[in-house]
Amino acid sequence: MTDSKGPRPAISRRDLLRTAGAAGAAALIPDAVGGVTKESPATSARAAAGEEQAGGLLSSDTAPLLAGPLTNLTASETEILSAMVDRLIPSDKLGPGALDAGVLQYIDRALSEAESDSAEVYRSGLAALDTYSRYTRGGPFIDLSTIDQDSVLIDVQLGVATGAGVGFVGSSGSFFNMVKSHTWQGMFGDPKYGGNVNFAGWDLIDYPGVRLGVSAEDQRSLEADQLDPVRRSAYDFSLFE
Amino acid sequence: MRVSVPIVGAALLLTGGAAAGLRGQTPTTFIVESPTMTTGTFMPRDYSPDGRNLSPPLSWRGLPVGTRQLAVISQDYGAGRPPPWVHWIIYNIPASAQGLPEGIPFDPDHPMPTEITGAIQGNNGWGLAAYRGPAPPAGSVHHYHFAVFALDEELDLPPGLDRGELLQAIDGHVIGQGDMVTLYERQPMNELLR
Repeated sequence: MTDSKGPRPAISRRDLLRTAGAAGAAALIPDAVGGVTKESPATSARAAAGEEQAGGLLSSDTAPLLAGPLTNLTASETEILSAMVDRLIPSDKLGPGALDAGVLQYIDRALSEAESDSAEVYRSGLAALDTYSRYTRGGPFIDLSTIDQDSVLIDVQLGVATGAGVGFVGSSGSFFNMVKSHTWQGMFGDPKYGGNVNFAGWDLIDYPGVRLGVSAEDQRSLEADQLDPVRRSAYDFSLFE
Repeated sequence: MRVSVPIVGAALLLTGGAAAGLRGQTPTTFIVESPTMTTGTFMPRDYSPDGRNLSPPLSWRGLPVGTRQLAVISQDYGAGRPPPWVHWIIYNIPASAQGLPEGIPFDPDHPMPTEITGAIQGNNGWGLAAYRGPAPPAGSVHHYHFAVFALDEELDLPPGLDRGELLQAIDGHVIGQGDMVTLYERQPMNELLR
């Protein structure tokens, strides 16, 4: 296997996240995941200006962060999922991570609606993740150091967290990819679906927000990295009601 | 120092013949060992996903005179399409290093141990710039080579090289090579007790 020639600087997980692409990230929401658009007064002059442009619509509330077990998982399962999601997109100097962005809330809503068939996969996968951690790293996943948690998740991702008694249904990689996909959706999707609280995900990748039109000045500002983001749900625009 | 042809031939075979010696000269061989593994025996499970999946410690001695830098490839010739399956690549190792300590960080944000400052991990078969240990199919025993290359120059190679790219980059600079072979067979999880 050969790649392009020339130096390739080492990049971290967060660097990869920042270059993931705003349009692709914002589109990662299954159509069937429903939700109610909450409305609240605009919080800034720029938002007000945007409202006029958008026809006077209001920006979305940020849904309250999850306090307690998920509806579809036990408290223990929620703890393990929380620890896993926190490693996939941790909070750091770049900004809030998945937990602060309400990813668990997104996943719980998805498991209640479009992803209801995945609830049992979550339960068995989280149990297997914990079993694998206990057998190979000497303790439950939530008690491991972040280094060991990352090491466990790498093995799960690569599909090598197998062996009689672990409990993954099929490849451990399938479980990892499912949780990763839902984490990405919850982090970067429209806040209507419960995640991307306070637009933390969109800010992380410098997504300028949903706009019904882009003026020449907007384009110049964007190219100069000076475009102020529009922080509102697409469903705040009457066009998407 | 000249060595017997069969030994050198086997060593070159392990690299697919891609790492030619300096100006066509035959590389010398040197000793590669480990404080926790013995050539020809099963490696501890903590160097596999049945355990902590740490990179194993290695040591070497008898490096050829003129060694300026080192590179290591860990590979399984019984896996991969085509073989070998690469478990670990690490290069830009300073010649002053007498080996590799156990547990080289897999997170690029964590610095390399002091004794191998400047070393870089290349992309293994999974595309990860880290060590990931043996995971052969259940019931099969595989052999894992830890090939060490002594180079005549500090090549300052870029990050992210895979096996083919590394072998191409060190081609013509290999003045010595050593190899250590260990075995592994996966352990059923329900038989692992801590």
